[in-house]
Amino acid sequence: MRINPFIFGIAVIVIFLGVILSFQAAGIWSVSGKVTSGGQAVQPSAEDVNTIKGWMTLEQISTVYNVPLADILAQFSLPADTPASTAIKDLESDTFSAEDLRAWLESRMQPVESEATGVPVSDATPTPVVLPTEIVATPLATEHVAPEKTITGKTTFQDLLDWNVPEETIRQIIGGDLPALTTVIKDYATQNGLEFAPIKTAIQAEVDKTK
Amino acid sequence: MTSQPLPVLPSRVKPRLRGWKSLLTHQTFRRVVQLGFAAFILVVTLQHVLAGESSGNVTASPEAYCPFGGLETLYKYITSGGSFVSHTHLSNVVVLVAVLVTALLARSAFCGWVCPLGFIQDLVSGFSAFLRKRIPGLRKAMNALKKRGSRLAFLDRYLRLLKYAVLAWAVIGAGVYGVMVFRDYDPWSALINIAEFSFTPGLVVLGITLAASFFIERPWCRYACPLGAASGLVGKFSPMYLKREADACKVCKVCTNACPMGLPVHTATTITSADCMGCLECVGACPREGALEVKIGIPLIGQK
Repeated sequence: MRINPFIFGIAVIVIFLGVILSFQAAGIWSVSGKVTSGGQAVQPSAEDVNTIKGWMTLEQISTVYNVPLADILAQFSLPADTPASTAIKDLESDTFSAEDLRAWLESRMQPVESEATGVPVSDATPTPVVLPTEIVATPLATEHVAPEKTITGKTTFQDLLDWNVPEETIRQIIGGDLPALTTVIKDYATQNGLEFAPIKTAIQAEVDKTK
Repeated sequence: MTSQPLPVLPSRVKPRLRGWKSLLTHQTFRRVVQLGFAAFILVVTLQHVLAGESSGNVTASPEAYCPFGGLETLYKYITSGGSFVSHTHLSNVVVLVAVLVTALLARSAFCGWVCPLGFIQDLVSGFSAFLRKRIPGLRKAMNALKKRGSRLAFLDRYLRLLKYAVLAWAVIGAGVYGVMVFRDYDPWSALINIAEFSFTPGLVVLGITLAASFFIERPWCRYACPLGAASGLVGKFSPMYLKREADACKVCKVCTNACPMGLPVHTATTITSADCMGCLECVGACPREGALEVKIGIPLIGQK
């Protein structure tokens, strides 16, 4: 059967747009991670750091995870005068990314065993958080040094050996041989398609044992 | 009484349309459709850039309408029960379904009628043709280049396979690593995110694509587009095909010269190639009535 080229063109548009409009009519459509298909605003979940997205602001993170803005800025060596309304993705650099933030918040959420009682104690003590209406940034030195023996996005494999973490333990955690010792752990994870957060948590636990 | 076969009548030359009537062709219609979709994406992009991410208003990123994003996130969407890889949303999956349904019914017509990146390549190629027509020196130089380049024509069929490798890498990579491994190399992504002023390999690929479009039509679509590869494969099961009537055809090669994908239309009986994007440029260019037509037949077996 022969088809007129005009009819063919119209059919293409009708089919293509028809499928999309049918899905939209059925409520199966969302063009942004900021809202659900029901139109409700998406917020990060306090229980799951993986719900943090690049478009979320420091203010949202500070409020939901009960972390002072100043702590976030200090942890990632971000300028102290960074507005709380800044989106995470707008701050991404070699030292800061949404992935780094997730890993750090997750490590803060890990319950710490009290040596005296053995009872799990959260280290997230109540601290003043950023209020959506009033943002107060504490002036800090621009050069921040991470607490000693803390895994960050800059820690190298050499650092781990310097901190007396056994080579064999590191191999087990990363699931392979050690790369060049100057390799940054986070870069190694990214290059090998591994998630940095669980590796960081596991290595931090080993580092803590050496303290 | 024995029946004698009717003698084949010589095909008629199509009447030449003049004045405004020459614009009433399916090619003009196709350009209007392409322009409409490109304008839509431009508006979405400007809206997103001007409103900004930190705005209280939710504006769609142009990436939300990219069907290939749907293909990259499909594995995660299915296996995780509804979550997506970064930069993709439900809309990507829906647009992907629309592209595949279109391919199933009308081959890769999405590429020929809708895709804005294809349209941009068409614009550059059209500009190149415009210049060649008006600057004899350029025309001579391009012809000389084409003559020299013809020695490498044997590479064409192998290079066309590259897009299937890109498709496999992008889809498997996204499935294994949970991120869009192709995004940094994607010229479309580079173009719609150009306002971010970030230098990515995709920007280089975009530059090469646009520069190559000056010399050959649709270079990205021919050799590297993973969405075109997926659409072409699904399109193999489409009932739509092009038929060249050997009796009416004078083998003038106008159709082959008009094909943006460089398919040898004038030697084929039926055009069912996965690379055919249903733009119907060949049908429009054919000077004879009934020599080249769009037809419907049973997929795979009834298209003769």
